[in-house]
Amino acid sequence: MTVLVEARDLSRYYGPVVGLNDLTLALDEGVTGLLGPNGAGKSTFLKLVAGEIRPSRGSLRVLGYAPFANREYFRRVGFCPQQDALYGEMTGLEFVVFLLRLSGHGKSDARRLAQRAIERVRLEEAMDRRTRGYSKGMRQRIRLAQAIAHEPRFLIVDEPMTGLDPLARREMSALFAELAAEGVSILISSHILHEVEGLTRNVVLLHRGRLLAQGPVPEIRKLLSRHPRKVEIGARDARSLAAALLGLDHVLSVRLAPGGDSVQLETRDLDRFWSELPRIAATARAGIHTLDSSDANLEAVFDYLVV
Amino acid sequence: MLLLLRTSALLFRTHLARLAWSRRTLVCALLAALGPLVAFLIAAASRKTNASEIAVHVGYLLQLQVIVPVLALVAGSAAVAEEVEDRTITFLFSRPLPRASVLLGRWSAILVFLTVLLAASTWLLLAAAGRAKGPPLDDGIREPLLAAVLAGGAVYSALFAVLGVFVRSPVIVGLGYAFAIEGFLANMPAGTQSLTIQYYLRSMIAGLGSSQWSAVEGFASTSFEPLPRALTTLSIVLVAALALGAWRITRREFVLSS
Repeated sequence: MTVLVEARDLSRYYGPVVGLNDLTLALDEGVTGLLGPNGAGKSTFLKLVAGEIRPSRGSLRVLGYAPFANREYFRRVGFCPQQDALYGEMTGLEFVVFLLRLSGHGKSDARRLAQRAIERVRLEEAMDRRTRGYSKGMRQRIRLAQAIAHEPRFLIVDEPMTGLDPLARREMSALFAELAAEGVSILISSHILHEVEGLTRNVVLLHRGRLLAQGPVPEIRKLLSRHPRKVEIGARDARSLAAALLGLDHVLSVRLAPGGDSVQLETRDLDRFWSELPRIAATARAGIHTLDSSDANLEAVFDYLVV
Repeated sequence: MLLLLRTSALLFRTHLARLAWSRRTLVCALLAALGPLVAFLIAAASRKTNASEIAVHVGYLLQLQVIVPVLALVAGSAAVAEEVEDRTITFLFSRPLPRASVLLGRWSAILVFLTVLLAASTWLLLAAAGRAKGPPLDDGIREPLLAAVLAGGAVYSALFAVLGVFVRSPVIVGLGYAFAIEGFLANMPAGTQSLTIQYYLRSMIAGLGSSQWSAVEGFASTSFEPLPRALTTLSIVLVAALALGAWRITRREFVLSS
């Protein structure tokens, strides 16, 4: 496999703030998930890879190029940034065509490629509407459309699932899988392990600007699974739910919240818990209305790993 | 070079269309209406002041000294800074385009916009002043004022556009420059005036205008540059500013918050 991204002692500082610290890694072609809690350095790493900012120290080569302000490199990559910014006065189609034309495509070619990309992100019905009227999900899709429209070899996507509903997330995942099958390498960031897991086995874990782990998801999950995970469930009948949950062998503790309207539990197998919860909820007729696993947020997992 | 021109032209067209939707356009239009409004009010209220006096005073003291720099600041500073503020610059800078084209293309659109707006504003100002008593305004008032205003719009907007490449808040820094340097130094006696754009714009008026401009306080006693030298200096400032901006934008990284 060809090395796609090669970072050596890569650091990036924003004044006194450390965005990324002495990162050395090599990413192969294919799909790679970049994981870490907020402030881990994911966006900094992606901005460096996308050529938006320069390293403060160390070196970075992507597809053999130094990315910053490199026009040859930009012909080969697509970048879908996290920030929710668009040209509001343009329609979705105009937006993508405009950026394609800036990439050197002729008018008709740009229109054809833009329409194709917009169809791929399933936004064709809204492509003639001004983007200022787009919903969050539509805005995310059009940003992705501009990133894939010029058919890049390497796609960089920063937190693409944020703000999307479950159906849109599934569609987005399917699109990434499709692109990967076509041979496009993808670097995708997220702070939710589960999101990335559906797309790739290869994961890079960052924490406080440093590389924490790199490798296949199952190995990393194994590491995480040793840590008991907390879940809070809000339910109409929290008491009967708590009783039902006590019957699960992987549940270590169950506690009713002071108000009596939610259950707090600890499990040593979060995956099994999620798969068994619908059955338990149906049996107990507990009327679940909220679910919160603070541990699902990688922050807690990372805190555990770092300690 | 061809690519620079091509992408600049594309960004020029797009930005010109964007200006139609911008709130800045509304602010600029309101500012541009100020000169004609003041001229109209003076012409309507004063029976003693004649048309040429109103035109030279409002044209020189308000339009040229205040409206032109402020309008150029509001419009010009947006050239690059707006893309940074809106965080859309990422889309442009992740494309294989010469980065200088972002400055040049967008500034060109602003120049066209300002030229139209300032020409209309100055024409209305002269028309409003012309309603007052006295002989009609001659070309010695109209043409120099229009030429100086348009030249000022071009040079100031280029300076403020370039300022947006260097600093995060070009409007604040630009206001400081417009009032502290241009407003203050340009009205100081002796050589310090030559450090300002205003001085060369006034030199244009002195070189092209009629004797009626002497009605403005201090005009007759000031030693202005000859017209060719004033034009050359303004051209050098404009080209140098754009070249510096183009050089800087090519190298600068714009760090956006997520």
